[in-house]
Amino acid sequence: MSKGRRGENTKSEVLQGTLDLMILKTLHAMGPLHGFGIARRLEQLSQEVLHLNEGTVYTSLLRMQDAGWIAAKWGASENNRKAKFYSITKAGSRQLAKETEDWERISRVIGRVLRLDGQN
Amino acid sequence: MSLRDLWLRIRNTARDTSADAEFHAEIEEHVRLLAERYRGQGMTEEEASLAARRQFGNQTLLQEDRRAMKTIPAIESLLGDLIYAARTLRKNPGFAAAAAITLTLGIGANTAIFSICNAVLFKPLPFREPDRIVMLWERLATGALMTVAPANFVDWRNESRSFSEMAALNPNYSFILASQNEAARLAGAAVSSNFFSLLSIQFALGRNFLAEEDRPGHNDVAILSYRVWQERFGADREIIGRQINLDDKSYTVTGVLPADFEFGSRAADFQPRNQGVGGDQFLVNAAGDQFDIWVPIAFNTERLKRGTHPLRVIARLKPGVPLSEAQAELNVMATHLANQYPADNRDKGIGAVPLKEQATGAVRVALQMLLIAVGLVLLIGCANVANLFLSRAAARRSEMAVRVALGAGRGRIAQQLLTESLLLVGIAGGAGFSLALIGLAVLSPYLPADLLRAGGVRPDARILAFTAFISLASGILFGLGPLFGTARAQAGEWLKASNRVAGGAQSLLRNGLAVAQIAIALMLLIGTGLMVRSFVKLIHVAPGLRSEGILTARLSLPRSRYPDNHRIAVFERELLERLAGSRGTQSAGFTTYLPLSGSDNGWSFVIEGRPPLPTGIFNMAKYRPVSAGYFETLGIPLLRGRSFTRGDEREGSPWIAVINQSMAREYWGGKNPIGERLSFGSDTWRTVIGVVGDVRHEGLGGELKPEMYVPMEDAPNVEDGPTLVVRTTLDAGSAAAQLRELVLAIDRTMPVDRIETMDQLLSRSVAQPRFRTFVLAAFSILALVMASIGVYGVINYLVVQRTREFGIRMSMGATQTDVLRLVLRRAGALIGAGTCLGIAGAMLLVRFIDKLLFDTAPVDPLTFAAVPVVLAIVALTASYIPARRATRVDPMIALRYE
Repeated sequence: MSKGRRGENTKSEVLQGTLDLMILKTLHAMGPLHGFGIARRLEQLSQEVLHLNEGTVYTSLLRMQDAGWIAAKWGASENNRKAKFYSITKAGSRQLAKETEDWERISRVIGRVLRLDGQN
Repeated sequence: MSLRDLWLRIRNTARDTSADAEFHAEIEEHVRLLAERYRGQGMTEEEASLAARRQFGNQTLLQEDRRAMKTIPAIESLLGDLIYAARTLRKNPGFAAAAAITLTLGIGANTAIFSICNAVLFKPLPFREPDRIVMLWERLATGALMTVAPANFVDWRNESRSFSEMAALNPNYSFILASQNEAARLAGAAVSSNFFSLLSIQFALGRNFLAEEDRPGHNDVAILSYRVWQERFGADREIIGRQINLDDKSYTVTGVLPADFEFGSRAADFQPRNQGVGGDQFLVNAAGDQFDIWVPIAFNTERLKRGTHPLRVIARLKPGVPLSEAQAELNVMATHLANQYPADNRDKGIGAVPLKEQATGAVRVALQMLLIAVGLVLLIGCANVANLFLSRAAARRSEMAVRVALGAGRGRIAQQLLTESLLLVGIAGGAGFSLALIGLAVLSPYLPADLLRAGGVRPDARILAFTAFISLASGILFGLGPLFGTARAQAGEWLKASNRVAGGAQSLLRNGLAVAQIAIALMLLIGTGLMVRSFVKLIHVAPGLRSEGILTARLSLPRSRYPDNHRIAVFERELLERLAGSRGTQSAGFTTYLPLSGSDNGWSFVIEGRPPLPTGIFNMAKYRPVSAGYFETLGIPLLRGRSFTRGDEREGSPWIAVINQSMAREYWGGKNPIGERLSFGSDTWRTVIGVVGDVRHEGLGGELKPEMYVPMEDAPNVEDGPTLVVRTTLDAGSAAAQLRELVLAIDRTMPVDRIETMDQLLSRSVAQPRFRTFVLAAFSILALVMASIGVYGVINYLVVQRTREFGIRMSMGATQTDVLRLVLRRAGALIGAGTCLGIAGAMLLVRFIDKLLFDTAPVDPLTFAAVPVVLAIVALTASYIPARRATRVDPMIALRYE
């Protein structure tokens, strides 16, 4: 079975980049989380609308680590298992602010465009 | 990518296992938590685990993504390929060894020959702007070049506008350097004061000659070679300004040359090259003395002659003046000088030869030939390895098919195949380089001495780069070849074909390779055949003397104690008498210009009673002052009249000469020359008293020239010290020891050097042709073996591929002979095609080695007929082995084959 591409597509593919933005926001709002925790939070927030291969969270985490937006530290999880906790960095906060602004501007524009009625 | 990032990636590529494991653990934990959650929702263990994995996505891909992000993927896959390639090679030791040995031999031989070429041909001469330095020669109407008369040199220097500087060197000097223990004879040269500045030599110590020291009366100054400064003066830094004693005369040392100064270290630098004539490929070069003492040339009016020709002239082209322009100016100058001085310069031109060409002229053709030959050997080797790869590619068809089916791109497969071949050439290149260095170190004592410059063959970056380049080129050549055959096929075809029949393109390539191998091997073999034939002819030339049992030694009689011919004669007579009474000596004599030693002299002469020749036209004959006993000792036959006796050397005896057969024939035709009179140099008439046989003075390949012998005692103008020749029954070692003893008993300080047997001289005189013939022969045999292996491989492959078919044929009634004929016909076709191509190629190529052939036509019918037959027999024998195997096929087994 191939992923996505289902006929009655109620779930949307997560756009590259938007996942980064969502994870940054999550970390910004919730403080340090491990990968599983991030995935749960996203699931909860998206209300099952977004289809997410949870592995992609890690791709995004790695990428943002490389960019220096988040930092990782080993710690203990709720049930006392070793887990890696990710937190947002200062650069990450700046990036979040910038991307949030971009996103809002673009979505406003797209919203306006989509609200246009036929002009006859 | 920042540098730090790059560094991290490289480090990660090298070792990233712990981070890998950590990441893996992190992912595993995530999946485990997911599964736990699903279990909490009521799934079974299995369902939960499956759902968790589905929810998470492709873990392996994620891991790979991470590695791609953190490391350099190309290197990583290269490392993987390398490890895989190493493993495949290790699993096929036979294949790996065959390929590696073939390539090692090929690359090693190429590196060795290139090293020699590099040292002799390619390295720039160690002078400033060496490309602008030329040597100037007088040019005869025949095109032959000759050394320069001092007066002509002075005119050239004063009149020419194309050269910024022109300097002269006279190599005919030698000095006896006296020290407490022994006297040594040192080779010397006289140079004009601008000689070293023209070459831009930085002195190791002291300074060049001043212009005012280059005048008669002020020229008692000397420059030392680095070697003589080290060996004779203990590297004394206070030597500058000190007096040294040369020939019992005092000279002030002004400078010491640098250690690497090597002008004139080889006689080749000083022999006028006869371009176009090509005969100089077989002539002996003078034993290359290093010049140890340099003095100013200090021309005086007495020395400024046009009739003697002692000078070598170098000149530096002015910036921006091309050689052709300079040559045009020289031509005009020559015409002018010929008109002005017809007696000496009639029909004479001026020839300019770039210094580099001068220094390498004689060996250039031979080395180029060897370089091409060895390159061809490597090509054959590559073809063999390509064939091996092809066979293996066929065997690995299924593996490749599976890889393609699993999604490996063609580029990825090409990369892996190339990695294998590059690994192989990496190994072979390293081994070949070492092999070449070891080989050269072992063989260099046997290389012809004047092949090498003073520096010898040393490994340098250029040689390493060459080895790397040919290794890489061969790797790509045979690594990519098979790819064209295999990569074209589609995965499906590969799977279906399994390993039954090779594709058409592949077998075409395979056959093409075999044909090319045979053709190339044949070209090399024909070249060798010609060289061997030429060499055999050369060494069978009668030298005109009996060389066995002859010992020769050069004596140096200082002018101070032996000022005239009479004193010299007294010494010589004394020595000959003592020798006559010594152990083992059968006869002994003296000469000034020893045959095959490279030293020579010639004079123009007139015959009594003949009409005078036009101005500027001369009778020329070689000039040989010898003592009584010389002809008998060397075994030069007396054909007419008598030879010299002791009585001829006494004062008051008549002036006489002995001439050789060529001179008698050329100047007296069928008539008897005995009693005729001739004159040269002075006004004295000499009576011809005898005719002796011709001697190949310049080498076995040299022309026979008119020679006139005169008694040593009344010989004018002797430049060289006398050389003693002794026919002895003792072995060379004890004869030499006895000889030295006898000489020192008469004169305690007389230098005796160049002690050699005539056989050694004879052998050295053919050292160059022997070297090139043997090396080419070795390469050709290697080529023949490789090409035969190539043919064997192709036929063997064919037999393996068609085993089933042969089985069917034989079960249908074909006899063994039929199958044998079938296979051999195929082999015959390959060999026939290769032979035809090879003969055609050889026809084209032989004219390039024309100059290297002695008395042998380049398109020698015997060679062109015999060599292909030999090759065909060897190649057919090689293919007979697998062909016979085909006839032994058991039909039942063959049908079940696969």
